[in-house]
Amino acid sequence: MRRALVLFVLLLAALATAASAATRAQITVFAAASLTDVFPRIDAAERYSFGGSNTLSAQIQQGAPADVFASANMTLPNQLYAKGLCSRPVVFTRNTLVIVVPTSNPAGVHSVYDLTRGGIKLVVAGPGVPVGSYTLQVLRNMNLSAAVLKNVVSQETDVREVLAKVAMGEADAGFVYSTDARTVPGKVKVVKVPAWAQPKVQYGVCVVSSSGDKTSAQAFVRRLLTRQAQAKLVAAGFLPRIKKR
Amino acid sequence: MRRRALGWVPVAAAAVTLGFLLLPIVAIFVRTGPDALLDQLSNPVVQDAFVVTLKTSGVAQLLILLLGTPTAYVLATRRFRGRPLAVVLVELPLVLPPAVAGLGLFAAFGRLGLLGSTLDAFGVSIPFTQTAVTFAVAYVASPLYIRQAIAAFEAVDPNVVAASRTLGAGPARTFFRVVLPLARVGLIAGLALSFARGLGEFGATIMFAGSLQGITQTLPLAIYAEFDVDFDAALAMGGVLVGISILLLAGLHLGLSWRSSSTASRSLFGLSPSA
Repeated sequence: MRRALVLFVLLLAALATAASAATRAQITVFAAASLTDVFPRIDAAERYSFGGSNTLSAQIQQGAPADVFASANMTLPNQLYAKGLCSRPVVFTRNTLVIVVPTSNPAGVHSVYDLTRGGIKLVVAGPGVPVGSYTLQVLRNMNLSAAVLKNVVSQETDVREVLAKVAMGEADAGFVYSTDARTVPGKVKVVKVPAWAQPKVQYGVCVVSSSGDKTSAQAFVRRLLTRQAQAKLVAAGFLPRIKKR
Repeated sequence: MRRRALGWVPVAAAAVTLGFLLLPIVAIFVRTGPDALLDQLSNPVVQDAFVVTLKTSGVAQLLILLLGTPTAYVLATRRFRGRPLAVVLVELPLVLPPAVAGLGLFAAFGRLGLLGSTLDAFGVSIPFTQTAVTFAVAYVASPLYIRQAIAAFEAVDPNVVAASRTLGAGPARTFFRVVLPLARVGLIAGLALSFARGLGEFGATIMFAGSLQGITQTLPLAIYAEFDVDFDAALAMGGVLVGISILLLAGLHLGLSWRSSSTASRSLFGLSPSA
């Protein structure tokens, strides 16, 4: 009798956990490195893989098991969409580019123009990484490409690596998003990039076609567009999804 | 009857192991094809990476040879208090994840590192330079050479060394004319190991030296950068790296067997003669 009762309780517990798991399946989100801190705040239950958006896109193309792809630009998700590898991407947030320097500012960088001075150790992301391509756009807009790019000492594979080398104090300056600079308070100082030179930074999200749980994946994407999630993004320093006219 | 029945087990295990080790390499060449490989050989990114790799690995291996050999000899032949600790310390970089080794190099030689201000005073800056690549390669590869070198020197019969000294040869002459030739096989095996490790070095390099074409971007770094842009090009670059590695190691092996001072055959990475 007692054995039957114990078995019955165990069965109930198993059913309960199975039921809760069924209504709340965990999905895998491949997201741009700049979303490392804010995404878990929006939804702590999912499994995240953060990295350079181009690396993540390449992994998805090679069959990596992702359900959602959140990129720091629209180009990469659009490329996947064109290949039928994900759903039509939507813009879910925007960002701005800034220069970060170590708090001691050893090279005395106070503007983009200061980066043309000789001997400055500038770190940028590779041209395939969204923030790297945005950096090149900024420099093109300001007509400073050759003058500044000659000071590049390393091309990193994602924005947080750029940030880390500057925060470490080993690089004199780096181009990152304004949201990244806020994640290491006290280690870096921000040098603004003029608003007229800012590229159009739009983050795109889409559901990966090979996802095993499209329902949960679509629910995640919808959640990103809700007022609560958008408020959390803005609180982290991102720009509202839709530009105010 | 029982013995024969179990005879196939190690053979099967060997087949599985060899298959596991060789499949990724074969797969690269199957997926890539000879035209893609030749294409990559004329790619300036690959050519630059090849030059950077050769220069930095060459200098690093030279340093490892010149500094590591006497180190191994001291550790192999002298008995002093703390010797076991010294041997462990020499092997420490082996257990360090390469990225952590890169962080350590920053902490030691970076601008804000322990030696930072000293280097600054001499106008020397190491991070993000080709020298940094050499440092990273030398750091991760030297334990492999030194370990083999210690074993090689320990295998030299001390009676032979003693005989040489008794017959009037000084320590230096004994080392170069007696010890070195006897240990040569093990030393070359160790060098091949450290060279192979150095060729493939990635984590410490990308951390400490960064990645810039023509200056710090070695072949592994170039392949990693290419992966996000063009996967097939990256695969072809990988094929080029594998091809270069095979050529260099085969060259070392051929040189070894040609100049071998013993009649027994030697395996490339081991010290004991293969059956």
